[in-house]
Amino acid sequence: MNAHDWFVENRTAFVGGGLDADEHRSFLEHLDRCPECARAVATLDRELAWLPMGVAPVAPRPGFSRTVLERVLHGRRGWRGRVGAIAAAAALLLAVGVWGVGRQERAALRADLAAAEQRYAALQDTLSIIQGAGRIIHARIAMQQYQGAMLIFDDPVTHRWNVVVHGLPEAPAGEVYQLWFVTETGLRRAAEVRCDGKRPAFVTLEMPDAATRILGAVLTMEAESALTTDAPQGMRLANVEL
Amino acid sequence: MPTPEITSGPRAPLRRVARDPTLRRRLIARDERALGELIDAASPWLLAVVQAMLSDRDEAEDVVMEVYAVVWNRVHETSDDYQGLMPWLLRIARNRAIDRLRRRKRTRLRLERLARTRELGLAAAPPAEPDEAGAPGWHVHEAVHGALGDLPAEQLACVQLAYFQGRTHSEIASELGIPMGTVKTRLRLAYDKLRIALAPIKDWVL
Repeated sequence: MNAHDWFVENRTAFVGGGLDADEHRSFLEHLDRCPECARAVATLDRELAWLPMGVAPVAPRPGFSRTVLERVLHGRRGWRGRVGAIAAAAALLLAVGVWGVGRQERAALRADLAAAEQRYAALQDTLSIIQGAGRIIHARIAMQQYQGAMLIFDDPVTHRWNVVVHGLPEAPAGEVYQLWFVTETGLRRAAEVRCDGKRPAFVTLEMPDAATRILGAVLTMEAESALTTDAPQGMRLANVEL
Repeated sequence: MPTPEITSGPRAPLRRVARDPTLRRRLIARDERALGELIDAASPWLLAVVQAMLSDRDEAEDVVMEVYAVVWNRVHETSDDYQGLMPWLLRIARNRAIDRLRRRKRTRLRLERLARTRELGLAAAPPAEPDEAGAPGWHVHEAVHGALGDLPAEQLACVQLAYFQGRTHSEIASELGIPMGTVKTRLRLAYDKLRIALAPIKDWVL
């Protein structure tokens, strides 16, 4: 079989289908230079022209002709085009809504970030006290079921304490752990220490004032109802002397 | 150019359109009414073949709209020695449908579509309703449908795959589980029969 025989054999396939893309392209190129095949293909094309009409007709949907005319003559969109436009508009609204929601989310994230930055700053501050402490005082806690320790980091530069209490369980209902400064004039309420029995509790304290000499600290268990009293009334858990 | 015998009654639109020698010239002259007449006459057939090939009515309508856009914009390129507009429209529609089919790479969907097409299109065309029988070109459909129906089932299957699904010989052989030479033989035999059967209508004009 020579090359032309292949084209002769595949004329019907060229018109009726079956050739792959490369074969089809090759056939098209051949037709440009082979009048015999071109005529034969034209005849075949004419003979099989009505083959698609073997399929039973389908009634167009109402308005189809008008839609086609609008689209062809005026480039207007048909009903599906309008649906597409509506969908695009809806997508735009959705995008605006998402942008709005995104805006709210950004605001919330900014608030979260600010809070995290505050916590980070507090942690840095706490660490700075620990790192810059002029002295560290340790006190063991050993009272009934309360077994732990208290560490006081005294920063003479900023006049602050960082108090770390560990090992203590969560305070019983109606009671709190209360830290007191021991001064020359008596005990002064410092801060509540919230323990959970799992992690150490950290408290950073401003010293009362430069004129007040701090002699030590006391950790007590106080009733919540006694939080306004000026003197400890509950059980003493730790006592630190400077 | 001979035209088919056209009866009176429901086929009046066919006579009006098919025998209108000026339709092409009116389209070239940008006669919008001519385009409307062509749309009314050709749409049922274009939608039928494209929908049968794509199994998707919405997509079929898109393709048919593309066909009319091509006709409107390129009708002036057709030669005076033309067979009528309808074969040209059918060819554009089929080629565009095949293009879309080839874009669909998912073999599973193709096979499903094939199954539906077999039910929808050729071998089991629905009975003619009175309004369908009045559609322009109905007698062409009857002739083609009859010719296809006379093909042996194995040849018809090959024609369906090659002509209406755009499959290659090797794809058909793979799908039907037969040698590629057998596919080519079946197609050649089928088209030889169809050419003979369709000869009486080959010069019909629409």
